[in-house]
Amino acid sequence: MGKPSDLVQGTLDLLILRVLSLGPQHGWAIAKRIQQVSNHVLQVQQGSLYPALHRLEQKRWITSKWDQTETGRDAKFYFLTSAGKAQLEIETANWSRLSAAINLVLETE
Amino acid sequence: MSWTDKFSLAWHSLFGRNQASQELDREIQFHLDQQVAENLSLGMNPHEARTAALRTFGNTTALKEEARDAWGWTWLEQLFQDFQYALRQLGKTPGFTTTAVLTLALGIGANAAIFTLVHALMMRNLPVADPRTLVRLGDTSDCCVNGGAPDGADFSLFSTEVYERLKKYAPEFEQLAAMQAGFPYRPVVARRDGAQENARSIMAEFVSGNYFETFGLKAAAGRLFFDSDDVQGAPLVAVMSYAAWQRGYAGAQSVIGSTFWINTKAVTVVGIAPAGFFGDRLSTSPPDFYLPIETHTVISNAPYVHDPNVGWLYMIGRVRPGTQLGALQEKISAALKRWLKETKIFAAESDKSLSEKTHVVLTPGGAGIQDLREQYESNLQLLMGASALVLLIACANIANLLLVRGMRRRVEMSVRTALGAARSRIVRQLLTESVVLAGLGGVAGLAVAYLGARLLLRLAFAGALAIPIDPRPSLAVLGFAFVLSLLTGILFGIAPAWMASQTNPADALKSGVRGTIVGASVLQRGLVVFQAALSLVLLVGAGLFGQSLTKLQSTGLKLDSMNRYIAHINPQGAGYSPRDLEPLYRTIEQRFHELPGVSNVGICNYTPMEENNWSNSVQVQGQAYTGRSASFIKANAEYLDSVGTHVLRGRGIRMQDVSAAPTVAVVNETFVKDFFPNGENPIGRHFGAPDPPDASADYEIVGVVEDTVYTTVRWADHRMYFVPITERPHSDKEPIDQDLSLYAGALVLQTKGPVNNMEELTRKTLADINPNLALVKFQTFDQQIADRFNHDRMVAQLTSLFAVLALLLATIGLYGVTAYTVARRTSEIGIRMALGAHPTRVLGLILRGAMGQTLIGLAIGIPAAIASARFVQSQLYEIKQVNPVVMLIAILALGLASLLAGMIPATGAASTEPAQTLRAE
Repeated sequence: MGKPSDLVQGTLDLLILRVLSLGPQHGWAIAKRIQQVSNHVLQVQQGSLYPALHRLEQKRWITSKWDQTETGRDAKFYFLTSAGKAQLEIETANWSRLSAAINLVLETE
Repeated sequence: MSWTDKFSLAWHSLFGRNQASQELDREIQFHLDQQVAENLSLGMNPHEARTAALRTFGNTTALKEEARDAWGWTWLEQLFQDFQYALRQLGKTPGFTTTAVLTLALGIGANAAIFTLVHALMMRNLPVADPRTLVRLGDTSDCCVNGGAPDGADFSLFSTEVYERLKKYAPEFEQLAAMQAGFPYRPVVARRDGAQENARSIMAEFVSGNYFETFGLKAAAGRLFFDSDDVQGAPLVAVMSYAAWQRGYAGAQSVIGSTFWINTKAVTVVGIAPAGFFGDRLSTSPPDFYLPIETHTVISNAPYVHDPNVGWLYMIGRVRPGTQLGALQEKISAALKRWLKETKIFAAESDKSLSEKTHVVLTPGGAGIQDLREQYESNLQLLMGASALVLLIACANIANLLLVRGMRRRVEMSVRTALGAARSRIVRQLLTESVVLAGLGGVAGLAVAYLGARLLLRLAFAGALAIPIDPRPSLAVLGFAFVLSLLTGILFGIAPAWMASQTNPADALKSGVRGTIVGASVLQRGLVVFQAALSLVLLVGAGLFGQSLTKLQSTGLKLDSMNRYIAHINPQGAGYSPRDLEPLYRTIEQRFHELPGVSNVGICNYTPMEENNWSNSVQVQGQAYTGRSASFIKANAEYLDSVGTHVLRGRGIRMQDVSAAPTVAVVNETFVKDFFPNGENPIGRHFGAPDPPDASADYEIVGVVEDTVYTTVRWADHRMYFVPITERPHSDKEPIDQDLSLYAGALVLQTKGPVNNMEELTRKTLADINPNLALVKFQTFDQQIADRFNHDRMVAQLTSLFAVLALLLATIGLYGVTAYTVARRTSEIGIRMALGAHPTRVLGLILRGAMGQTLIGLAIGIPAAIASARFVQSQLYEIKQVNPVVMLIAILALGLASLLAGMIPATGAASTEPAQTLRAE
């Protein structure tokens, strides 16, 4: 089924939380946003976003609500919860530490 | 996320599954539509746009599946898998499963059976409206009809006057009802008018007019009482219990409005109490009829209904919402103190301080009058303790079996761990197995509980008219068994599961580990030691209760019960006035003597070894009143012979001691010892009540009889006197019509040999004298005596049963561990024997191990048994500590059982063929 590995899954969660921290969005918009912001470097398979969203919802980090888009269509919007905000901070800090450490390893000869 | 959160989400996801799936479809459809729209705007054709969108999205089916996984019903699914797997695993080892389920069924069943009684007696409310707002006035089981102040001036029994005043005085009560305290001791004689039925002795309870209203009850048919039924001179009416209506009249409507002759008075039945209502207390003799208290005077010739000095009523009231019970208790106590000062109750100088102590304690009334609870509470607590110990032993047994099983399944666990199963998953799997096992045990235990409860009720209420408790498991019992199963499952499952999870995959996959000291683990042996210790405690306990019962039963009653029959009668119910009694007694004597084989016809108010006691304060003429009282029996001339009481000095009661003759008394040895301590001759001396002043001249002592046992064996040094039944002392100025003490309560019939149809003969002879002279109760004297030991016998039998069960379980446990050790050490034993070890040495080796555990068990069990004997001492008769003989027997029993448990596997080991075991590797 091609489950993302733990690293990728964790990263995807972080990206989703980050995107939602800017405001509620529906799934397609989240996918677009990740692609745009990362200058199309992060090519997330769009569909794998949904299991991740539902998992985050089960963890109560995000919550969802059906609402109308600007074009008047029904879409499921996701919001960050306060628990999600806290989680985002933790994961951002973790990520910074990890990437700094990896950089350090890569830079030393 | 907490466990409950997870569950609720999983629950909602599971049941909202369809809706959630549809939403997921819509959500993904929206995404694809957006992508298609974007692709179109980039200039793709519709087909291209759609294909591209699907490509960028990925495998929709798989992704949907993955999203659904996130909803959490995998958790439930796994549980279901575990459950199925557990059942499969248990099914694979039917021997183990059967043993474990049976063991658990016994353990859980015994506990649930006891709990059936505990629940019914201690936890259940009356089947009435809102039982929590009911309050009882009083906290003692003082009974029946009492003059004077109770112990410590703590009132539970009230006069009609106090009831009437309190009803007006305490508006905190929405309703305040009163009910006859001693109705089980005062049956009535009833017969339906016009029907071809004999007059029967039945139970009837006199209650206040608002009794049913207080309990919030509605009539099953007709009506219940109004206040207007409960006034002097009102027409005589009765309410019949639903059970009596169904039992006697198949629920016929014609009963309502019909006339019944109750104690020869015509009473109209106005209605039927609701189904299931058995009165205000759990009782072995629930009332068939309810009658208004004001009619007690007319129907039962009771002179005390309006005597302010006589308490005969209990009270239960329904308080208004928000009533402060503490304040109400103070208020009632203060009022009672004030009112009682107006009566003669505290007239004597010595009662002044008692008067100050007058008080009432308010207790919860939802469960009614809890007489039965008081009788059985300490026994039940003891039995609960014993059954809990049995369950603990059962748990230890199963934990042991599981440990052994766990060893056998090490390879399975190792493979599973090697394949990546998480430890937690394995622990969960094994715990699920334990809980499933316990659940099966619990279900089987319910059957045991039902049978056990029936047995228990039969033992506890042997000889009772009606057993007030349903042995079928109630909802509460089901819940209890369920929780108990769950707890035991976890209790015995946790250690084996944890140990199994500790397996190192590599270790167990190495085959053929050959060790020398790989026996049972410390934990296993510890469990066996624990079982042995607990069994010893139970064995010693059973021994103590058995010893206590033997001691009680072998107490010299100094009565002769051979070929004696006791017939309880109710001449008042048959319509006799006290004036008519002397001729009646003469007729009874004459008619019964006409029966072939009858040698003595005793007539008395009550007989030895029945639950009854009449007593009076006694002052010997010429001595100061010392506050002592004595029990008295009113009897005819043949009575002392009929119960086998020997006259030591002087004479017994004679035929000539009739109402017109001088009043005489025969006293017992303890009476003489206490009132004439200096060896004075009691014959010819006079005694009587201390009040009025001339009463001490009432009775002349004409004889001394041997001490015999009345009421209970536990009542030692019982002062007693016997007076002719129809004689009235001079000081008694009460009109004879109100003298209830003239009524006989029992006949003692002595025959020359056993008479098979004595009950029929008695019934017929009485009916010939007067059809209303119904037989209240008929027993042989032996039966009556045996019934007095019901309680003690029940406790002795049940503790023995539990002890045997515990011993059996402990033996099986020891056998299991020893057999397991032998199996593990087969190759070692083979080598030893190949090297020349004698079979007896092998036998000794294995037995030493088994007996070693028993010895440690004894070392713990003996002091534990001695210590626990102190907790049950109050329930034992004349036993202060563990008797060495009892201890020795318990030790021997345990020793023999463990020898047996060790011997079987040990002989197996000793007969090992060395070559064979080594080849088997």
